[in-house]
Amino acid sequence: MGEENRAGYNIDGILKEMRDEYWQGLEAVEEALEEQLECVTFALGGETYAFETIHAAEVLRIPRLVKIPKVQELIVGVFNLRGEIVAAMDIRPLLGLPQLPFGPSGRIIVVKGEKFHTGLLVESIKGVAALPLDTFEVAVKSLSGAQRDYLRGQLQLSDGLVILLDIGRLLAAPEIVIDHG
Amino acid sequence: MSSKYLDIFLREADEHLTSLQGGVLRLEKEPANKVLIHELLRNAHTLKGSARMLGFEGVSNVAHRLEDLLKEMEEGEREVDERAIDILLRGSDAMARLVDALAKGEPPSFVVEDFLAALDRGDVPEIAMQGPSCKEEDGFGDTVRARVKTLDSLVNLLGELIINKKRLESRVSSLKFLVRGDGGPPSLRELGQFQRELEDDVLYLDYLIQELHGEAMELRMLPLRTITDGFQRLVRDLARDQGKEVDLAIDGDGIELDRVLLESLKPMFLHMLTNAVDHGIELPDERKGHGKPGKATIRISARHEGDSVQILVRDDGRGMDPARIKQAALRRGVIDKEEAELLGDEESLYLTLRPGFSTSEIVTDVSGRGVGLDVVQKNLERVKGTLSLRSVVGACTEITLQLPLSLSVVEALLVACGGECYAVPVSYVLETIKVRSEDIVTVGGKEVVALRGTTVPLVSLSSLLGLPARKELLETGKVTAVVLKLREQLLACTVDRHLGSGEIVVKQLGAQMKRVTFVFGATILGDGDPALILSVPDLFAHAEGATTTGFRGAFAEQEAARVRGRILVVDDSITTRTMERSILVSHGYQVEVAVSGEDALEKVAGVQFDLVVSDVEMPGINGFELTRQLRVLDTYREVPIIIVSSLSRDEHKRQALEAGAQAYIVKGSFDQGTLLDTVESLIG
Repeated sequence: MGEENRAGYNIDGILKEMRDEYWQGLEAVEEALEEQLECVTFALGGETYAFETIHAAEVLRIPRLVKIPKVQELIVGVFNLRGEIVAAMDIRPLLGLPQLPFGPSGRIIVVKGEKFHTGLLVESIKGVAALPLDTFEVAVKSLSGAQRDYLRGQLQLSDGLVILLDIGRLLAAPEIVIDHG
Repeated sequence: MSSKYLDIFLREADEHLTSLQGGVLRLEKEPANKVLIHELLRNAHTLKGSARMLGFEGVSNVAHRLEDLLKEMEEGEREVDERAIDILLRGSDAMARLVDALAKGEPPSFVVEDFLAALDRGDVPEIAMQGPSCKEEDGFGDTVRARVKTLDSLVNLLGELIINKKRLESRVSSLKFLVRGDGGPPSLRELGQFQRELEDDVLYLDYLIQELHGEAMELRMLPLRTITDGFQRLVRDLARDQGKEVDLAIDGDGIELDRVLLESLKPMFLHMLTNAVDHGIELPDERKGHGKPGKATIRISARHEGDSVQILVRDDGRGMDPARIKQAALRRGVIDKEEAELLGDEESLYLTLRPGFSTSEIVTDVSGRGVGLDVVQKNLERVKGTLSLRSVVGACTEITLQLPLSLSVVEALLVACGGECYAVPVSYVLETIKVRSEDIVTVGGKEVVALRGTTVPLVSLSSLLGLPARKELLETGKVTAVVLKLREQLLACTVDRHLGSGEIVVKQLGAQMKRVTFVFGATILGDGDPALILSVPDLFAHAEGATTTGFRGAFAEQEAARVRGRILVVDDSITTRTMERSILVSHGYQVEVAVSGEDALEKVAGVQFDLVVSDVEMPGINGFELTRQLRVLDTYREVPIIIVSSLSRDEHKRQALEAGAQAYIVKGSFDQGTLLDTVESLIG
């Protein structure tokens, strides 16, 4: 009886342990998932930048851009996105990056904003990947205010440094809107 | 409660309230119209019923009171007088406010119980004033009502498109068959047959697209009525506040316009109507004193005119007095004295369109704050419309608005400039002209061109837009300019070239480009690239301070570099020929050579040279003889001839001059300078 009881307790204990292990395992998986960010990575000013894939609608080869008279430098022009007129932006001056020419690998990432779609000119697309966040550091102090505004931080990955853009802040920036009043 | 029912109620209430408002105003004019009273009764009754069903007590109670009142009127128990009309209007106002609050999910903005109590006392109840004109700011919403017929036709056309696509697919497979060449290479007859079939399909496709486009555009059209419905009330209230009597008549309110256009038309109407009531229309006594009926009439009439809609707003008030307008403009510093003297009567009327102008001596509540017609003007420009004024002092004022039917498709001129293609709505384009250097005159540091007796400022479109200039196009000695017209002003903009005109679909630039100077919108060209549509009012606004085109200077430079004159060099010595030729060519002259006098005579027969340089001693006829023979020719009687010779005796110089030569150069003293100087002194 006693033994049975003990055995019974033991079974309960084992089951409990198994359950705990199971749940812990699940949590561990969840934690691991939380530590990753699905991003599109691309080159700007020779460096690697990234932002969350959910903000990107599509990637295009750079089409003919029609210049808009008397606008800020970063609005390079407009292009036809299936009948919609969309602006293409070169945000490198905003980030204090050198403006290397966009070669044949140059692309436009169409970004979905709350109020509008806009095109982000990039030197090349590196890929779409889940980036591990365990090496994440918030934006470097040495950056100037304007640059820090649009950056969330950086990741040290095996194949180099990836800088995370704050796409929400960027789209909300008055600098990217043309309003001649 | 489900929002579906609320939506239905809101829409229904809106309809009944609109017809109630309009009907009551009509009733004021036709107090004995029993049919009308009955109709109003029905409106009130329906409103009461639906509101009660959804538990909107406020609306249902007010509707109930109005229903009672109308019933008394119908049965003749109550007179249809001013007071009764006022109560009915207030009542429908109150319901409109309540419905509005329901739509927004807000509590009512006034105390319904007090309002009802006032109604029950038989008073004209007050609502904390927020006139009907204020609440009409909200646009048209995001939904449209479409006729079922239109939708059916859209669906039909789409069906046809699908059939057309299938037909094209079968063409592809028959082409595949031809290419595979099972029965040998295809014959011309087979190919011709294939081509004809394909052409038919494309033609039909084109027709379908046109139809579809037309139907789709029609969905954007709404009758003018949608905005003019509230105006009766507005005019009535405005007039009563000022002790004036005004009738508003509206003709052609069934005319349909693009909804975007209607939205921008509404504030224009509000300004024009307040202006008319405030400034135009006299008090009844004054009117009677001038032999006019005490009650004034404002008439809005709309009609189609070609591809546009013309809207005339006419009042039979005191009219616009050019002298008074000029005085007021002077006083407000809108113009200076000199300008005032230059202005004719008709032009003076247009001073009222300038910002900062208002003739009302007292600043009143409604207008006279220095805004008014200039606002109308500004809004009108935005929708590519034009405004004209006409007035007879003491009799009437007429404002005519000319509007495009639709904003989504316009006829535009395409121009190339600075490597881009731009579209200019043709409604602004007077013509395109070729400008030559001599057509350009500088006036006060600005360049102008003469165009049929008037001078038109000339600006370079590329420098106005801040684009790189393209001087190489000056080579032809002419530049293309588009003459633009905005109201009575003209402006010539030089462009690289014009690319013809056609219908373009207008697209907005999107929220990232809220307002862009010089740009009205964009369109998509046949090759899929966008092209910007220029804002002509912006071009005019910025042309004032723009730098000159510099064309005259550029032309002058061009002139210097250009061929200075055509010269025939006659010499039997190849060395002399080549030397003279190279000197002259390097200084911009065009040179041909002849190896003898005979050769020269042959050459001059075909070409008119500006100058001849000749040797004396040559085989065949000599230089003197050549000169003599040239002088006999009609075309060479006046052409300068220079004799270049190694003979240095005075005798020879005399002979040369007698033969008709203008100059004699001795080869010994011959150097670059002498020849060039002589040539330049003769033909520049």
